[in-house]
Amino acid sequence: MTSTALKLNYLQVKKGLFSWIFSVDHKRIGLLYLYSLLTFFVAGVTLGILMRLELLNPGKDLMEAKTYNQVFTMHGVIMIFLFIIPSIPAVFGNFFLPIMLGTDDVSFPRINLLSWWVYIIGAIMALSTLMFGDGPADTGWTFYAPYSVKTGTNVTMAVLAAFVLGFSSILTGLNFIVTIHRLRTPGMGFLKMPLFAWALYATSWIQLLATPVVGITLLMIVAERVFGVGLFDPAIGGDPILYQHLFWIYSHPAVYIMALPAFGIISEVLPTFSNRTIFGYKAIAFSSLAIAFVGYFVWGHHMFTAGMSGPARIIYSIMTFLVAIPTAIKVFNWVATLYKGSIDVQPPLLYSLGFIFQFMVGGLSGLVLGALATDIHLHDTYFVVGHFHYVMFGGTGFAFFGALHYWYPKIWGRMYNKLVANIAFFIFFIGFNLLYFPMMIAGLMGMPRRYYDYLPEFHLPNMISTFGSWVLAVGLLLMLGNLIAGFWRKREKIGRNPWGTGITLEWQTLSPPPITNFDRMPVLPKDGPYDYDHKPDIKE
Amino acid sequence: MLGILLVLLFFSPVFAQQELGVYEKLDQFIDDDIVFVDENFREVNIKDAIDKPTIVAMVYYECPGICTPLLNGLADVMKKSDLELGKNYQVFTISFSHAESPVLAQNKKRTYTKLVGKGDLENGWHFFTGDSLTIDRFLDNIGYKVKQEGDEFIHPATLVVLSPQGKITRYLHGTNYLPFDMKMAVVEASMGRSGPTINKILDYCFSYDPKGKTYVFNVTKVSGAIILVLALALLGSLIVSNRNKKTKNVL
Repeated sequence: MTSTALKLNYLQVKKGLFSWIFSVDHKRIGLLYLYSLLTFFVAGVTLGILMRLELLNPGKDLMEAKTYNQVFTMHGVIMIFLFIIPSIPAVFGNFFLPIMLGTDDVSFPRINLLSWWVYIIGAIMALSTLMFGDGPADTGWTFYAPYSVKTGTNVTMAVLAAFVLGFSSILTGLNFIVTIHRLRTPGMGFLKMPLFAWALYATSWIQLLATPVVGITLLMIVAERVFGVGLFDPAIGGDPILYQHLFWIYSHPAVYIMALPAFGIISEVLPTFSNRTIFGYKAIAFSSLAIAFVGYFVWGHHMFTAGMSGPARIIYSIMTFLVAIPTAIKVFNWVATLYKGSIDVQPPLLYSLGFIFQFMVGGLSGLVLGALATDIHLHDTYFVVGHFHYVMFGGTGFAFFGALHYWYPKIWGRMYNKLVANIAFFIFFIGFNLLYFPMMIAGLMGMPRRYYDYLPEFHLPNMISTFGSWVLAVGLLLMLGNLIAGFWRKREKIGRNPWGTGITLEWQTLSPPPITNFDRMPVLPKDGPYDYDHKPDIKE
Repeated sequence: MLGILLVLLFFSPVFAQQELGVYEKLDQFIDDDIVFVDENFREVNIKDAIDKPTIVAMVYYECPGICTPLLNGLADVMKKSDLELGKNYQVFTISFSHAESPVLAQNKKRTYTKLVGKGDLENGWHFFTGDSLTIDRFLDNIGYKVKQEGDEFIHPATLVVLSPQGKITRYLHGTNYLPFDMKMAVVEASMGRSGPTINKILDYCFSYDPKGKTYVFNVTKVSGAIILVLALALLGSLIVSNRNKKTKNVL
């Protein structure tokens, strides 16, 4: 190969729609995921804002009760299955895992492309519920039986969509596991892998093991709806609690499918902007595995009030508290990484700090819900809604946007306006907390979730929350607008290492990376991936 | 095969409709001419008697199953609620066993009057009985499907909330109710607004078929075992076999 061919980047090779949607290049597939995910994210945000508008005042404002139920179901299905579960692994995992491992692609590039197509087919199925019959499902994203078996809305199609999307997730997980085992560059042992790769490794095992369970459960709903097999509906001899068990056996580990990759992102961003090695590399790496493992045994905490024996509840509660240990290990190590670091406050670091703060709020409120006595009071209230938005949106969502700001110059070879990015972050951050914190207050006051209406005493927190949703929307628009505007900015010289302090292998290659990822052999730091004392001297 | 599938798919809602349970009839009105007998042997036109938000509990007084937990749950939430019985709302307990008499109803009322001990229980909580035709019509009005087996009934446990105009505005499922849910339901009923129920855990008084359950558990156990074995095989193969160094490495 000539050196010119080596320097030709992945964006320049071929043009045209087909060169993208049939590409087996992991970088292009990552971007396909990014563009599709962001489209669904905007749709989900719009639905969320509509719900907040309805809840601005007590009583019916915008929509009927049933429409509201359909809107929150659609919001949940889009945000969970189409955005947050695939988010970081499918976009940044696909794009950066092979580069960080020093290889040229994932193990099964064609399966990788297939996973995107399966994702798109699942998405079309989910959206098709809007078009026919009695409209989209009104069950909530959890599809709780027996209501999901009885409602006249398009639950069957929505459930099948979730089933198909699960396959996409399994394929990505499988690909990453094999890639991490087989394709690490020579000299990179498991303990010399970047922490993002560790996080993806733990996530992939959850995807592989837990997703089939929910697939089977969802098919059981279809069997019951279509053939009348009595599995979950007590009227025909089924057991609704069985559904909840099967559903949460998957869906609780799925929370870690969402959270672990986000931890990986934070573990990459903090060393770069502290210009020092990560504190407690092994502790962070193994705590990912510990979370993935313990995360399998805590699903019962979703069902404390649904009929469960006392000993079972106590065991689930204790297991839930155990998850806090590896999670806290990570947080302490991140904070210790910042300590005495040479901190450079850039947009990705702000998002990471926002993540740590909000994930702490989400995690600690999770303990309130994991404790039996308080859960009885708070179950099915807005406290839960506030809690999981802090974890998923405040946590994974912020990490996702942090990663987008972190790797933006590497992916497109351009830089966005950093000042605007910082302003957007603060508006986004303030809007987020205005939106979700009052929800927890309303929940403590006793406001139940899943209603389009509420008693007058909950008016104030709801008003503040709706106002927060507008601030958040402004922040989001400014952030996304700024990133898009970056494409038209005057091209400045980005170089291989635009932040100057990036140490993992993606910062040794060109921006954007060439088709084969590297134009020359990457050099590993001597003592592990974050060895700033022996940082390789990379020439442009 | 495909034909059979399509036929089943087409008729499946019909099969489902015939099952026991509650088929919510939100926003529908109850008939004008339904007359039950109250605990004082007086004939009462139900529609006329509803002049404020009304909670209807369908039970039978000699029920060995979930009727008692249902009524206890109702009494409990009435005690906890800050709404005033007889002023903000009233409660009708109606038996769906035509064999039961107002004497039984009177006894029940006495028991629950002691249990609740607050509000205008004399005029605010009535216990009705009726003939089979009236009972059938009323059950149909509110979307209840029950089945008699010997002396007992298989039936769901649900409260129905009616607006002062006799419109069905909410179903409260289960045997435990939160004061909040009750207040919300009464407020909704007083405004004549209705909302479908989302989070329902249905309690049923039904004959249980343990064989059916074994079958369900087998499916999940077998598939769970297969998933685990496959995952372990994958991990094993990745660890045991040598890394393939010939391919895929950069340059």
